[in-house]
Amino acid sequence: MTDLVLKNIGKTYPNGYQAIPSIDLSIEEGEFIVLVGPSGCGKSTLLRMVAGLETITQGDLLIKGNRVNEKEPADRDIAMVFQNYALYPHMTVRANMAYGLKNRGVPKEERDTKVNSVATMLGLEELLDRKPNQLSGGQRQRVAMGRAMVRDPKVFLFDEPLSNLDAKLRVQMRVEIRQLQRKLATTTLYVTHDQVEAMTLADRLVVLNKGKAEQIGTPMELYNKPASTFVAAFIGSPAMNLLDAEMTEVGIKLNESLVLPLSHDYRGKMIWGIRPEHLVASDEQNGDFALQVQAVESLGAETLIHGVLVGSQQTDGSAVPLVVRLSGPHLPDIGSHLWFTAPREDWHLFDANTQQRL
Amino acid sequence: MIENRPWLKLFSHFILIAGVLIVALPVWVALVGSTQSASSFADSVPLWFGDQGVQNWSHVLFHAAGSTLQIPVWHLLLNSMIMALGITFGKIAISMISAYAIVFFRFPFRSLIFWVIFITLMLPVEVRIVPTYQVIANLNMLNSYSGLILPMIASATATFLFRQCFMSMPGELVEAARIDGAGPIRFFFDILLPMSRTNIAAMFVIMFIYGWNQYLWPLIITTDDTYYTLVMSIKNMLSVPDGDIEWNNVMVTTLLAMIPPVAVVVGMQKLFVKGLVDAEK
Repeated sequence: MTDLVLKNIGKTYPNGYQAIPSIDLSIEEGEFIVLVGPSGCGKSTLLRMVAGLETITQGDLLIKGNRVNEKEPADRDIAMVFQNYALYPHMTVRANMAYGLKNRGVPKEERDTKVNSVATMLGLEELLDRKPNQLSGGQRQRVAMGRAMVRDPKVFLFDEPLSNLDAKLRVQMRVEIRQLQRKLATTTLYVTHDQVEAMTLADRLVVLNKGKAEQIGTPMELYNKPASTFVAAFIGSPAMNLLDAEMTEVGIKLNESLVLPLSHDYRGKMIWGIRPEHLVASDEQNGDFALQVQAVESLGAETLIHGVLVGSQQTDGSAVPLVVRLSGPHLPDIGSHLWFTAPREDWHLFDANTQQRL
Repeated sequence: MIENRPWLKLFSHFILIAGVLIVALPVWVALVGSTQSASSFADSVPLWFGDQGVQNWSHVLFHAAGSTLQIPVWHLLLNSMIMALGITFGKIAISMISAYAIVFFRFPFRSLIFWVIFITLMLPVEVRIVPTYQVIANLNMLNSYSGLILPMIASATATFLFRQCFMSMPGELVEAARIDGAGPIRFFFDILLPMSRTNIAAMFVIMFIYGWNQYLWPLIITTDDTYYTLVMSIKNMLSVPDGDIEWNNVMVTTLLAMIPPVAVVVGMQKLFVKGLVDAEK
């Protein structure tokens, strides 16, 4: 059964600024949906519209089949975890978690039982009588999640909940959030700008760009078949290499001397893309093209080589940058030439005008 | 940097001690004077304790403030306390509610209303005293506690300070409360009030002293001496038409008038400073 349906949802501010033109999305029960995009793409606005903190100026929002556009946030059966946790500083952890239930008139014994069981699940039993300022960042994060879980809502909303944690804790909480969500099987809408978070957490991803959904799909669909150059560049780290090219009868013409043979119906300007991890080291006889090394980042398990494509120029005259990711340690000299092949099945072709996948 | 210049140290301590002496001298004179007999002020100001202490204090506190004012000072203290506390709590309540409306609710002419409130800052009591007197007289509130309190109860300063305090409240907290189902009244009492605790304490100190020190307004609207306040009575005791001022009694009354504000400041200074300096949010 679909839990949450966004039908032609849009947001136009009173000053005429259109933050979200129109989005359609239907979310299955228990699904983990991540909204991802750069800052200012409207992902938080969309989440806040679902929460009821922003008015919806167009379309219908349905939770469990009921239209909730005009309902107060408290009546929508949702719970939200905020970026800065938004814990009430003057209340103990217990009171923080129980406040929503108290406002709903849940009797004290029932409140205590629920708070205690959620606290046990999150390992917060020891902290129940502390105030938020006596907690560490990770503990506050947990309390904020506990406050959302206590209410047993239909939909969880997360607004960049991990961005205030340090890197190590972030990875740990990410795993924890995923496990909890699986266990509770509560439909979840999660906003982040971090594509690693998005890829690891999501059942389905929504990549947003300027208020439009560029692509909706599973992380692997987005990785393997990005619908546009925007998605291609956004998903994956380091980002996909996107090179201006031209489709001719003989194949993809990257420059005067470099043509990758391919027969395709499309003709004219296009963008050729390949992920850094899909380039294969080769030699001068078999390689498709050469890279002049400019910088090497050794990460131990893998090596990132930043360089420029030999013999090629962008329209403004500068060299075409290219990144290669090789597994294991490599130490090429700066300025030396390395040869690579680009396997055909890993190519991504985009229309240069529409930026859409060919 | 460690300085070791004994003369400089000596000199700065001398300056500090001199400063303390200058500030403390009048209090000392009042304290010493309150133990003298009425006649010892005839030719010089006494600088050491007399033997009438207990007698003066008990007479002034429980019998009569002086020959011109046949009211015991405990009654004046009570009047002052009622007025000061009434003004303080009234001001805090009204300005919190109005600041709450201005900050958290969207209604037409919101900013206009704020500026109108703000502009009244420029109208002190003295400027509007004649019309205010007229209104209070028409309401039959002369010689009453409500007459003493009501005209002082609205405060643009406090409204402005609470507005600043509420505006610094994180927006996420307000939204979290909305999601938790807290309506406007619940939000006010459960979240806003406890979170502005330190600001309220700071307001309390400032407004209590303001209320306690009211002089002109009680002087104008009270003619019945059972509604006299302590501060204005001191002036009353000094304006003796003929004969000697009872300085010993005046000194007792003055010291008594100082005790409540000092107690409030000392008792609340920790919260007061916290309220003015930081917002623990």
